[in-house]
Amino acid sequence: MTSMFTNPPATHGRAAEPAAVVAAEVSKVYGSGDAAVHALRGVSVGFARGAFTAIMGPSGSGKSTLMHCLAGLDTVSGGRVTLGDAELTAMNDKQLTLLRRDRIGFIFQAFNLLPTLTAEQNILLPLELSGRKLDRAWFDQVIDVVGLRERLGHRPNELSGGQQQRVACARALVARPEVIFADEPTGNLDSRSGAEVLGFLRASVREMGRTIVMVTHDPVAASYADRVVFLRDGQIVTELFQPTPDTVLDRLKSLGA
Amino acid sequence: MLKTTLAGLAAHRLRLLLTALAITLGVGFITGTFVLTDSMKSGVDKTFATSADKVDVAVLPKDGGELPASLLARVKGVSGVTAAEGLVKGSAALVGRDGKAVGDMPTVGMSVPSGPLLRYELDGGRAPNGPSETVLDTHVAKREKFKVGDAVTVLDHKNKPHRFTVVGLVDMGMDRDAGSRGAVGFDAATASAMTGEKTFTEIDVLGGTREAVASAVGPDNDALTGKGLAQRLSKANGVDTKILQTGLLLFGMVAMLVSALVIYNTFAILIAQRTREMALLRCVGATRRQVFGGVLVEAVVVGLVGSLLGLAAGLGLGAGALGVIGSFDTGLKLAGPGLTVRTVLVALLVGVVVTVVSALLPARAATRVAPIAALRSDLEPGSGRFRLGWIRTILTALFGLGGVGLAGYGGFGADKGETPMYMVALGGMLFFLAVVAAMPALVRPLGRLVGAFPAKAGGVPARLAVQNAQRSPRRTATTTIALTIGIGLMSLFSVVAASGTATTNAQLDKHFPVDFQVESQFGGGKSADDPSRRIPADLVTNLRALPQLGQVTESREAGRPKSGGSGMTVQTVTASAFGSLIKVAADAGTVSAPKPGTLIVDNETAKSDGYRVGQTVQIRGDRGSAPIRVAGIFHGDVPLRGVLLNEADFGRVSAVRDASVVWAKVKPGVQVDDARRAVDAATKGYPTIRVGSMAELRDQFTQAVNTLLMVFGGLLGLAIVIALFGIANTLSLSVVERTRESALLRALGLTRRQLRRMLSVEALVMSVIGALTGVVLGVGFGWAATSAMSESAVFAVPYLQIIGFIVLAGVAGVVAAVMPARRAAKASVVESLSAG
Repeated sequence: MTSMFTNPPATHGRAAEPAAVVAAEVSKVYGSGDAAVHALRGVSVGFARGAFTAIMGPSGSGKSTLMHCLAGLDTVSGGRVTLGDAELTAMNDKQLTLLRRDRIGFIFQAFNLLPTLTAEQNILLPLELSGRKLDRAWFDQVIDVVGLRERLGHRPNELSGGQQQRVACARALVARPEVIFADEPTGNLDSRSGAEVLGFLRASVREMGRTIVMVTHDPVAASYADRVVFLRDGQIVTELFQPTPDTVLDRLKSLGA
Repeated sequence: MLKTTLAGLAAHRLRLLLTALAITLGVGFITGTFVLTDSMKSGVDKTFATSADKVDVAVLPKDGGELPASLLARVKGVSGVTAAEGLVKGSAALVGRDGKAVGDMPTVGMSVPSGPLLRYELDGGRAPNGPSETVLDTHVAKREKFKVGDAVTVLDHKNKPHRFTVVGLVDMGMDRDAGSRGAVGFDAATASAMTGEKTFTEIDVLGGTREAVASAVGPDNDALTGKGLAQRLSKANGVDTKILQTGLLLFGMVAMLVSALVIYNTFAILIAQRTREMALLRCVGATRRQVFGGVLVEAVVVGLVGSLLGLAAGLGLGAGALGVIGSFDTGLKLAGPGLTVRTVLVALLVGVVVTVVSALLPARAATRVAPIAALRSDLEPGSGRFRLGWIRTILTALFGLGGVGLAGYGGFGADKGETPMYMVALGGMLFFLAVVAAMPALVRPLGRLVGAFPAKAGGVPARLAVQNAQRSPRRTATTTIALTIGIGLMSLFSVVAASGTATTNAQLDKHFPVDFQVESQFGGGKSADDPSRRIPADLVTNLRALPQLGQVTESREAGRPKSGGSGMTVQTVTASAFGSLIKVAADAGTVSAPKPGTLIVDNETAKSDGYRVGQTVQIRGDRGSAPIRVAGIFHGDVPLRGVLLNEADFGRVSAVRDASVVWAKVKPGVQVDDARRAVDAATKGYPTIRVGSMAELRDQFTQAVNTLLMVFGGLLGLAIVIALFGIANTLSLSVVERTRESALLRALGLTRRQLRRMLSVEALVMSVIGALTGVVLGVGFGWAATSAMSESAVFAVPYLQIIGFIVLAGVAGVVAAVMPARRAAKASVVESLSAG
């Protein structure tokens, strides 16, 4: 690991860029009648291109649901989600699948990798699924940045948790998606490995111009982002630019979480 | 603990049902067998009972004897006897509408009494009376389109034609001979005149007591009550049903073996998947014994459910089979389908025992789960590189080498015949055990081999599928072995059948290149030297005169010596046939046409009678005996058995002048069809003479072999279907296991269709691995078995059929994957991501 990933977050903002993903009045209801649960109640938010945005909120605030709706993994009950020129909320399953394949990257909390594939095969999976050509130079650059060169031939069960997450990051980057969604990417990692992964995510935004939306409940993780959006009871209640762990924690406290 | 187990089962009803289905099919087949054979037997018994009810006492000869006509008068003289009728039974060939005697064997000629002693059911008309009336067996009449009022020709024992009027139709199917050969009935005197039989096969009595009749007929004959007669008749018939039952049950056992594998695998996977559940139970204080017991209780429930469903399925299957049999006009009386206590007990016992035994190993594995496993993060069950432990290695080596050695020695050793065949069979079973032991280690290389093409052609989903098929070698091994059994046996049968056909054809071409074979209708209980079975000399003369025929050869067979003598066949064949029509090979001496004073003998007779070349032996025939020197010992696939004499010598030992069979070759340049027409025309006036062409014989043989193969295929189909359930089961459990993995793939952009295709390819790879293993085993041991059969066996592989098996297995595997694949594709990505 290079030392730049362990540096404290620098202040940096690119809010002027046009939004990569936009949610307009998005609502999500599970169940019906008395048993209906309103996970999202009219969320409107944009995520800037080339920015690192964190979504925070207490448990049950709807942050994961919002991410699933933004990423085309789940359908909305009302409102619109657009990714660039594509309206996700008007698409069928097949279109959504192809959209995810070609334009979105994912990093999940756990179980990010296919156990039967080597690290390299896992990284190349989205490209192979879409049948796109691999840019060797770009692949080498990504591999070197995440420091996985020695580990490419290993299968996931031969890698540490931090290494597995870095493989997942590399996978998300190699395909050059328009936006990367990360769902608690450091939730299962020790603080050192977590810091490595977060530093790497931030570097990929700063230096490679990626767009990342990350769901987390960890104020330290959120402090790596350019902007933090706070959710409570399915609504966006506030946001914070250039966060630090302390300012995030303060804001969370004020939300009563 | 019991409650926990039952609650768990209730919560997974679908899984329970799927697991139980394998047992259901096996038990269903066994139940179906019993239902079918029981109903056939009870139907026949009932017919016999009603029929035998009509007599008070029946007199039968003790084993194989006859009842002299004088006995009838004595029985009639017994006090209390109101009526007694002697039954005459022999042969009387019915001539069909084409002018040829009906069937390959002459129809049975028997007496059909009128009045109260008529044991058969009249299907129309009345019983025959007088020398110009006859009744026909209903089935023969239907086949030959004769009805009451028609005039028919029946040949007497000297093949002289007689005209009769059909006065009635009688169902004589309950008589075994009449059932297979068909029958014509007359009054007693006419029956005796037509068949030449002067004695009775049975005397039926009305009135009088069994004891009184028994004392009158003496100790050489049995006197039975009507009930006793029914029991004896049904016993003879029961043997047939028993053979059918045993044969079907053998296939049932194969099916149960496959079911056992499927159950074992399902339980093994379930236990592996429920490691946490087991560990949690151990954490809260369940002992190892309780965990073990819990799994067994689950097995008992699965076995019971499966067996009960199987009983129901079997009842349906049996009823269906009865319906099919009933729709053919077999003359078989069938009772309605029903379950006997025995059927229910056997079905439940077999089902439950097989399930529980199959679950024993998985249950033991369950007890090994440490309580701490409940807290550990999930390791994928059954995965990882499989290493053949030393036990498996030793077993594989032992069974493998033993099996190959035994089969090799049996198949390619010096001896041929039954014992080497058994050795091959035993070797095959041993080798199969070796394959079972080694299969987990073979899954990866085989998977790579089978998956090579799909992985190349099918894109990412196919490549993932090929990997998935290899990821838990034990699981894949057991799943595929279940299919190997069915496909292996099918390939074995088809190789043996193809080789048998090829051997026969090659032998005929090589040793016996004739075009036509002319012989008399055979059998009818008459010995081979009976005059009615010979070919009249004037017919042979006519045949020789036909311009369409080249060589015409006759074979004559001597009658038995008047007293004593062995059952050896003594023949002579037209000398010119040797070398042209009949090509035999010498084991010893010279085997050309025998010169006067010498004979040649086939190798089997020489062996059994101890003949050696150069020895002079006494040959005995119906006329007398003569000392003749053994000139040679021959072998070859020709219809010649026993000793072959020179024609002059034959005349010294036998008075027979008519041929028993005539072989003819078409003259070069003449169309076979033209020659056939000429031969048919020449034999027109001889109703009992049959003309067979070798081409027809070959077709008939091939067809018979193919029919047999189809029946075997149908019966083995069940084992294959069960194996497919195994594939479906393994796959659906794997799908459950890989819920999150599938969700991840879907999130990364795998479409539903691609996910489904992935599972289809996985099933395809698994089933082709199993089929391929089966085909290799079947062909290999089929080769050994063929070679073990006879010296001159030709090994033939029915490539198309074999390829067909593999393709069929692949397609079936894909079909088996449909349900699991649909389930996997339907799962919501978001829910699946958070599952587990």
